[in-house]
Amino acid sequence: MSFDFNLILQSLPQMLAGLGITLQLLLVSGFLGLLLAILLLLMRISGKLYLNSIAQVYIFVFRGTPILVQIFIIYYGLPQFEAIRESMFWHILREPTGCAILALTLNTGAYVSEILRGGVLSVDKGLLEAGSALGMSARQKFIYITTPLATRLSLPAYSNDVISLLKSTALASTITITDMTGIARTIVADTYAPYEVFISLAVVYIIFTFGLQKLFGVIERYLSRHTVREE
Amino acid sequence: MEVLNGWWDDYFWGAIVVAEVFIASLFLMILFGLIGAGAKLSGSRLAQKTANTYTVIFRGTPEILVILLLYYGSAITLTAIAQIFNPEIRFVDVPPFWAGTIAISLIVGSYATETFRGAFLGVNPGSIEAARALGMSTLQTFIYIRIPEMWRIALPPFGNHMLSLTKDTALISIIGLNETLFVAKQAITVTGKPFTMYIVVGAIYLGFSTIITLSVMGIEKFGNRTSVGAK
Amino acid sequence: MKSKLIKLMALGAIAVFSITNASAETLRVGMECTYAPFNYKTADGELAGYDVDVAKGVGKIIGADLEYVCQDWDGMIPALLANKFDLVIASMSITEKRLKKIDFSGPYRFSTGQIVGAKKTKVNLFDDAGNPIAANFQGLKVGLERATTYSSWFEEELPGADVVLYDGSEPLYLDLMNGRVDLIMTNPMKAHLKFLSKTEGTKYEFKGPVVDEEKYFGIGVGIGLRQGQEPLKARLNVALKELINSGELETFAKKIFPFKLHKDEWGQ
Repeated sequence: MSFDFNLILQSLPQMLAGLGITLQLLLVSGFLGLLLAILLLLMRISGKLYLNSIAQVYIFVFRGTPILVQIFIIYYGLPQFEAIRESMFWHILREPTGCAILALTLNTGAYVSEILRGGVLSVDKGLLEAGSALGMSARQKFIYITTPLATRLSLPAYSNDVISLLKSTALASTITITDMTGIARTIVADTYAPYEVFISLAVVYIIFTFGLQKLFGVIERYLSRHTVREE
Repeated sequence: MEVLNGWWDDYFWGAIVVAEVFIASLFLMILFGLIGAGAKLSGSRLAQKTANTYTVIFRGTPEILVILLLYYGSAITLTAIAQIFNPEIRFVDVPPFWAGTIAISLIVGSYATETFRGAFLGVNPGSIEAARALGMSTLQTFIYIRIPEMWRIALPPFGNHMLSLTKDTALISIIGLNETLFVAKQAITVTGKPFTMYIVVGAIYLGFSTIITLSVMGIEKFGNRTSVGAK
Repeated sequence: MKSKLIKLMALGAIAVFSITNASAETLRVGMECTYAPFNYKTADGELAGYDVDVAKGVGKIIGADLEYVCQDWDGMIPALLANKFDLVIASMSITEKRLKKIDFSGPYRFSTGQIVGAKKTKVNLFDDAGNPIAANFQGLKVGLERATTYSSWFEEELPGADVVLYDGSEPLYLDLMNGRVDLIMTNPMKAHLKFLSKTEGTKYEFKGPVVDEEKYFGIGVGIGLRQGQEPLKARLNVALKELINSGELETFAKKIFPFKLHKDEWGQ
């Protein structure tokens, strides 16, 4: 079995040209997904049954179906309806990038909201009681006690989700987007050398993931800088 | 809705394939996870390094890429290996079912490694000491104390791993596995109704997710029936 | 002991996977399965179409059982080279580029391309000699399937065009109707049959002449196989010639179109 290193050297720069799109998908979906997650979280802990139920159903559907199916429904499925094509949403849905960001946002929003909820529930009850003893209102407790602590507690699980999001961006290649994976598939189609191209692409993603993990490690250590370390 | 006529049985068989992949990959995922956790918990530096490499590679590479690599690359590698033993063999092929199943088992198995490792570490040392005091052998301790306690800790994240396996099955359609998403693509060629077809796929996967989630909840209740505070 | 164990495990692994010898008994045929009317799946789960008929006809004549493997188009040749199947009967054109990597039988169908677009897109894309006018393609999005003769043609003839690459051919028509792309280039026979002659296609038309330059489209569509299999190739060619000369190939075509899809001289 011969390994064509020349091909790898040629195709790497081409694939890395897609890094910009990969990053765009990651950052925009990540940010919007976080906003959506916070919204869903607030709905879940609002205490109001109808808000809680809507959020629960949404999370159930988006965590229970494969992201690839969600992408296809949005990109290929929605245009089936004339109403969609005439509406103002068409401006976004027309572009594959818009559809990908929408699908990724809706998906990661569901997952992250559960992660945040886990973080909120993990906040030590004693600290909240202390807050009540000091005369803080529920809103004040949430802002000054729950939020900072929940953020730090959610961070490990959240970092996992960001990495998942990165890996999901590769699926954008199935709806014509020329991200790194999309470019790789075109190169493979032209050169008939799947092994070399895909392995080098995998290495790129692994390096990227490694970097993200290190980054989150730094953030975690920074947020935990005041906690007592067990010797 | 009549457009679905004639396709219901295809979807049914596709769902059966999803179930088959689930069972096969579940078994393999547990196997890979236990081996990985064992390697990480063993004293051997080599085993730990190997296991760490395994987790880094398969947690850092997009699932679709692993599937494509195993599909195209496996035949070449396995043929080379097989030819060492029997030069008569022309080629060894890995059908999409196994290429995909092994791919997703390796991926989710790398997450399961961390889950099992954390769960083993979470077993109460006091219970182990008590077992030793009672004269139980290492093997008995392992079977009667470690495994049951470890399972209780691992169950919630393990449930998530099972859900991941189910949803990743949709990705195997990319290499031609005849599961539900693949059926949908063929149906769209004939019917031209992408939304309808993909929604059916989503519903089928949602059904699987629900069954798994409910089962995990049931097992959790059963596992915790002797715990203090369980209702 | 250790080597015995390894040997046992390896044998076990091999037993799990299918070991195939390229014998004449069973041949695996790769096709897209989503390319109506040439190869697609019906609601009954059966494969149908011109390519499927050709496959069945050839299989009968050479006395081989056929197994069908569905494969995404852009992975068709890599999959053939990776031994996922033995033959490609999927409307694959015999081009120089492909001949570098795989072998082909003789042709069994014309290979041509034509651009389709909306009637309201008023542009002159080709001049009188049939050459494309690059400037008139500016500002128009063109949808093409990856790894096709059409994408090759565009790459060489119109490198500046705004091209969007798709995984399959069905999405091309869907996105043309959605307005995501303004033009697509595809097989004119399929375009006419499945699209332009139907209600969805009334607002669309061909936007230029049929392109059949041999450089991009080859001499026609043939059966693909791995290189170095001369005996198999010879048997395939004998079978194809028989299908042409007996008129069976024409009946396959007439099931779908009112004309035949091959040149009689290919039967010589």
